[in-house]
Amino acid sequence: MDGRVTLNQVAMRFGDFTAIQPTSLEIESGEFFSFLGPSGCGKTTLLNMISGFLTPSEGSVAIGGVDMTRVPVNRRPTAMIFQNLALFPLMSVYRNIEFGLEVRGIDRKQRRDKADELLDLVALSGSGDKPVAELSGGQKQRIAIARALAVEPRVLLLDEPLSALDLKLRQHMRTELKAIQRKTGITFIYITHDQGEALTMSDRVAVMCDGRIQQVADPMTLYRQPRTDFVAGFVGENNRFPGRVAAVDGGMVTLDAGLPAPLRGHADAASPLAPGDEATLYVRPEQWRVGSAGDSSLRFGGVVQAEHFEGAWLTLEIALDQGGTVRAHVPQALESAGIESQLAVGSPCRLDYSPRGALVLPGVERGRANEESVDVAATA
Amino acid sequence: MWRQLRNRFGLPLTMAIVSLMGIWLIVMVLLPQWQMIDYSFHPSLLPAERGGAKDVWSLTNYATFFHNEIHLAIFFKTIWSSVLVTALTLIVSYPLAYYLAKVATPGQAALCLLLLIVPFWINEILRTFAWYIIFAFRGPLNELLFALGLIDRPIRFLNGDTGVLVGMVYAYILFMVFPLYNAIESLDTNQIRAARDLGAGWGRTHRRIVIPHAKPGIATGCIMTFMLAAGSYAVPALLGSPGSRWFTQIIYNWFFEGGDWNQGAAYAFLLLVLCIVFVTAIMRIFKVGLGDIAK
Ligand SMILES: Nc1ncnc2c1ncn2[C@@H]1O[C@H](COP(=O)(O)OP(=O)(O)O)[C@@H](O)[C@H]1O
Ligand SMILES: [Mg+2]
Repeated sequence: MDGRVTLNQVAMRFGDFTAIQPTSLEIESGEFFSFLGPSGCGKTTLLNMISGFLTPSEGSVAIGGVDMTRVPVNRRPTAMIFQNLALFPLMSVYRNIEFGLEVRGIDRKQRRDKADELLDLVALSGSGDKPVAELSGGQKQRIAIARALAVEPRVLLLDEPLSALDLKLRQHMRTELKAIQRKTGITFIYITHDQGEALTMSDRVAVMCDGRIQQVADPMTLYRQPRTDFVAGFVGENNRFPGRVAAVDGGMVTLDAGLPAPLRGHADAASPLAPGDEATLYVRPEQWRVGSAGDSSLRFGGVVQAEHFEGAWLTLEIALDQGGTVRAHVPQALESAGIESQLAVGSPCRLDYSPRGALVLPGVERGRANEESVDVAATA
Repeated sequence: MWRQLRNRFGLPLTMAIVSLMGIWLIVMVLLPQWQMIDYSFHPSLLPAERGGAKDVWSLTNYATFFHNEIHLAIFFKTIWSSVLVTALTLIVSYPLAYYLAKVATPGQAALCLLLLIVPFWINEILRTFAWYIIFAFRGPLNELLFALGLIDRPIRFLNGDTGVLVGMVYAYILFMVFPLYNAIESLDTNQIRAARDLGAGWGRTHRRIVIPHAKPGIATGCIMTFMLAAGSYAVPALLGSPGSRWFTQIIYNWFFEGGDWNQGAAYAFLLLVLCIVFVTAIMRIFKVGLGDIAK
């Protein structure tokens, strides 16, 4: 059972609008692969080309090494979980799950056995005779999965399947989906705009923006070594410091960003920098050390503008003395507790980061609207 | 409903609306029907004899019908032909409605609907006459078929039932297309895609997903088309031959040529009963309630 999916210079245009730029990609058999990107970036379009609902304007899709260009939807070895699930409301749970088997001419007894087995897998044994309208949101979700798995697809395509569920259920279903994927060994191609989902479940993630894949990597690499400004801002949070490269030594870059001290961070090996280049330094909120106003070991000064208690940590918005705002997390473990009493809104503070926790990427991205990342010293 | 109306319009206005509706129902619908039923159970009498000794309830008008083999034959033929018209209209309309609801872009759908509706701005009789011309022995259709080499001598379309069937399908297609379109349009397109994705071909997708969903629309369309067909006068009168007379023509004859209103009323009542039976049967077959149809 080869569930390899190969995109070969696949592009999609709707009239003048290019929804997917030419894209090549290889998804391994048995992989949990996610496409992550903001709404409207072309994720569903890409999935529809794999499932066969859309014919690429250019390029081709292959599954298990077999070109799918001439294979219609109903003959592809894929199954889709729709964003709205699209269960058949006029049929019982059994009939929903058995639909794909009935189509394949499998006899009643075998169909029922398979359906029972799948109901077991999704932990819903015994609800086969219920009408689907009587199921809760989470149960419908599982039935949709069972229905898709019934046809023994080589590739399961999931289009934001958890977006309609509440937070607790969503987190629970993440674990469950991952477990089902492991058990079945089917290639899962998962689409989401929720980075939490993509990072927790996937073996690899492709981050998309405006119809273009920005980076393909495992979740940890994606978080620690984003390749582009978009990825740095979209996956997790980042504080941006645009500036000019002052010095490069080994893997470390020194950046002049108009702040009293030079900023240092490690460079991405794949994008070399030379002194004088425009570049941006990224510091994640959890990389900041925040201290009281008197702590002179910390190089930067600022004033606390707002604080948001998030349970495990406290998010501070700090206005730097030189202009610009950064977001910093203060962990709430007992050892560090107490510091926030000195960090009330309006009080001055000091802060610094360790260069090993900062990343420098070439180029200065201006005017990108992205609420997830904060542009610091935009005036510099 | 009373409460909803009262909350919205206040008591005096609600009373006015409801009583107007009541009056309309009684005067325009119930009384004439009652009058007709009453007529049908009385013998046809001269004005002077009305209310006299001969003016008694009787079933003679109905007996006439059941003893007249020709009329019985025409009655059943009307039923059968109307069923045929309904089935043909359904077969023609379903792909059209599906195309309009799920395949066409909004622009194409609008154009297509316009093309469907424009002919209906013309009076039914004139539209039917158009077919009369098309079907004529030396008319354009025969010319066309001849030119294409499909026939070597003209066909008499207006001789048998062909003309009537085609004319009626054409005359009533909108009454089938619209309910179907509404029903199919309300189906979540992802249902169709899900069925396809699970391996169903187009035939099965329609059989298992689209048609079950569209059932109330199909029932509504069938009921309307059947009633219009069974009650049609103009189409069989214009496009039919003496051999393809419609039951409505017999009723017409009783009223306006035979001058026997009582007999005509009995025949008309039978047609009404037939339609009610048909509606009930269709609702049973499609397992839909009145509420589904009214939608
Ligand atoms: N059938 C279509 N015709 C025209 N534009 C489309 C069509 N389908 C999608 N688009 C456009 O393509 C872009 C990507 O859409 P989509 O793949 O649905 O995004 P996502 O799933 O990432 O939210 C959007 O800008 C959308 O408006
Ligand atoms: Mg989408």
